[in-house]
Parts: sequence; C-alpha cells; structure tokens
Amino acid sequence: MQIKLGQNLLGANAAVAGEIRRLMEEKGLLLLNLMSSPGAGKTTLLEKTLAAVKERLRVAVIEGDVATTKDAERIARLGIPVVQINTHGACHLDAAMVRDVLPAFDLDNLDLLIVENVGNLVCPAEFDLGEAMKVVVLSTTEGNDKVPKYPLMFREAGALLLNKIDLLPFTDFRLDELAADLGQIHPGLPRFDLSARTGEGMDRWIDWLSNQAEERRRR
Amino acid sequence: MHEMALMESLVDVLAREADRHNIARIKKVKLTVGALTHALPDALQFAFTVLREQPLFAPEAELEIEERETRGRCGSCGVEFAVEGNFGFLCPDCGGFAIEIIQGRELQIDYFEGD
Ligand SMILES: [Zn+2]
Repeated sequence: MQIKLGQNLLGANAAVAGEIRRLMEEKGLLLLNLMSSPGAGKTTLLEKTLAAVKERLRVAVIEGDVATTKDAERIARLGIPVVQINTHGACHLDAAMVRDVLPAFDLDNLDLLIVENVGNLVCPAEFDLGEAMKVVVLSTTEGNDKVPKYPLMFREAGALLLNKIDLLPFTDFRLDELAADLGQIHPGLPRFDLSARTGEGMDRWIDWLSNQAEERRRR
Repeated sequence: MHEMALMESLVDVLAREADRHNIARIKKVKLTVGALTHALPDALQFAFTVLREQPLFAPEAELEIEERETRGRCGSCGVEFAVEGNFGFLCPDCGGFAIEIIQGRELQIDYFEGD
C-alpha cells in the first residue's frame, strides 16, 4: 500500500517553532538566534554584547552546546539568566529543545532572549526555532567563501556581524568582495563590522540591537 | 551530521504515519530534496541505511530521492529563473534583487509504501 504524504520533513519542528513565535509576540520579547561557524568568536562577542545591553534591556540566554558547560558559565558570571541545552553531539538545536527550557525563564520580565546556536552554518539554518531574527556572525579569518557556500543562512539573516575586523590586515579577507556577494544574496542586510576583542564597532551594533528589542516591546 | 538529523525527523514522521495507516513495515520512501537545503543525497542515503535497521522498516527498504534545483521569481518583472550555483539571487532579465525563492527549499516526504 502506498500512502501519499506531501508533508515537510520538518513539519513537526515548524509547528513547535510557530508556538514559540506566538508566545514571544504575546510577551513582546525579541528572540534572537545567533549563528556562526566554529571559531568565529561568537561566545566572546555574545559576552561583550550582553555586558553592554544589560544596562538597557532585561536579557537572558539559551546556550546551545554540543557537550560542555564552559560558555554558559561565562555568561552566568555576568549575572544574566542562562540555561544550557546540551545537544549530546547533534549539530543543531531544534524548536522542541528551546520550548522545553522556556519555563526556566521569567518571560514577562524580559526584553531580549538570545539563543546561541551550535557552531556551524548548515544544520541550524534548516531548523526554525521560532526566532524573530537570525543573526549570523562571520569573521575575517574565515575567508570570503563562507557567504557563497552557505547562501541560505545569509539570505535569511536579519543582521550580519563581521567580527575580528582588527585582524583584517593579517588576512586575505576582502570587504569589497563581501559587499558584492551580499549584494547578490541579500541586498540591504544590516551589517556591522566590529571587533569583539578591541570593542571597535560594538556601539553601533549594541544600539541597533537595543532598538530592535525596544521596538518590539512597544508593539 | 545534518543529514542524519534530517533522517531522524523522517523516522519520527513515518513512525506516526505508519501507525495511523496500520502499516507494520515500510518498504519504500520517496523524498523531494531542494538544492538549497544543503542535504546531500548520498549522505541521506547513508543515514537511511543506518536507520532502516529499526523494526519500522523492511530490511531492504529503499529511499528514492528527487532532487530539485533552486529557482527564483523576480519581484520586479516576474521572470522565473534557475538560481545558478545556489548563489545568484539577481534577476537575469532586469537585474532586480527582490527575488522570491520558489523552489529549492523542499524537504518533503512525498509518499511511503509498506504493508
Ligand atoms: Zn526581473
């Protein structure tokens, strides 16, 4: 017997993501899905971002990690609520994992919830977490080829953070090539060139992010 | 890794649907996979050979994959075109870049067979 389905493989995930999205809208809470390849400096960037935004916003973090709790400990030290999801080897978070940790937070008293996704650009792009926005971190040391290689991620992103611009002189990364590639994939994508290490360019990003969360709260 | 996770989702869906339709053993599954999903057919096939060890599947259960290229539609002039190399989201006719993805994101279970 043949059974016709015609249904999305990730339909169950999409349904849970939809629930999360509705809940976040109801609470006026900005859910951000932060993604990058390994080594892009995402955790340091997140740490510096949190230290700055916590002056303006009530923020919490969901830390996705394949196995360790190191990153979550770094964030907890800032006095920010953080829950860690161990994926036990899986390469991405899914919506059910996020839904299951939401009760750990006081959602009525938050403005911004950041999910630090597992470090790679392929799998997390396929799994909707119910986020309002995907933010992709790319670093100058990774080379220009990440953008054409993973177009979906850059197309779906709501913002791009180009990290490690202090290392630009020591890499073959080209800003004009990045601009040209983005022009093909996602024209108008908000882009912030910065260095989490030196702090250069961080203010512009922090302002933009805070405004996004404040706008959502007012809606 | 990506493909294994996708195939695990496939097993979840199939287990539920097979139960609903009183199918004890699945013999064939047909998927449509868009190029933009970065799911490689060979890796999907490999993941399937691992997962079909479960009692839900007949030992020789087969996975058929139909691949779909990425296609876009221009928001300015309406032309439809193949997005070359999964990358050129620019209208070949008018140069517009408000391109809607109309094909290439599929990860669809078309049907399954069993008894
Ligand atoms: Zn056009």
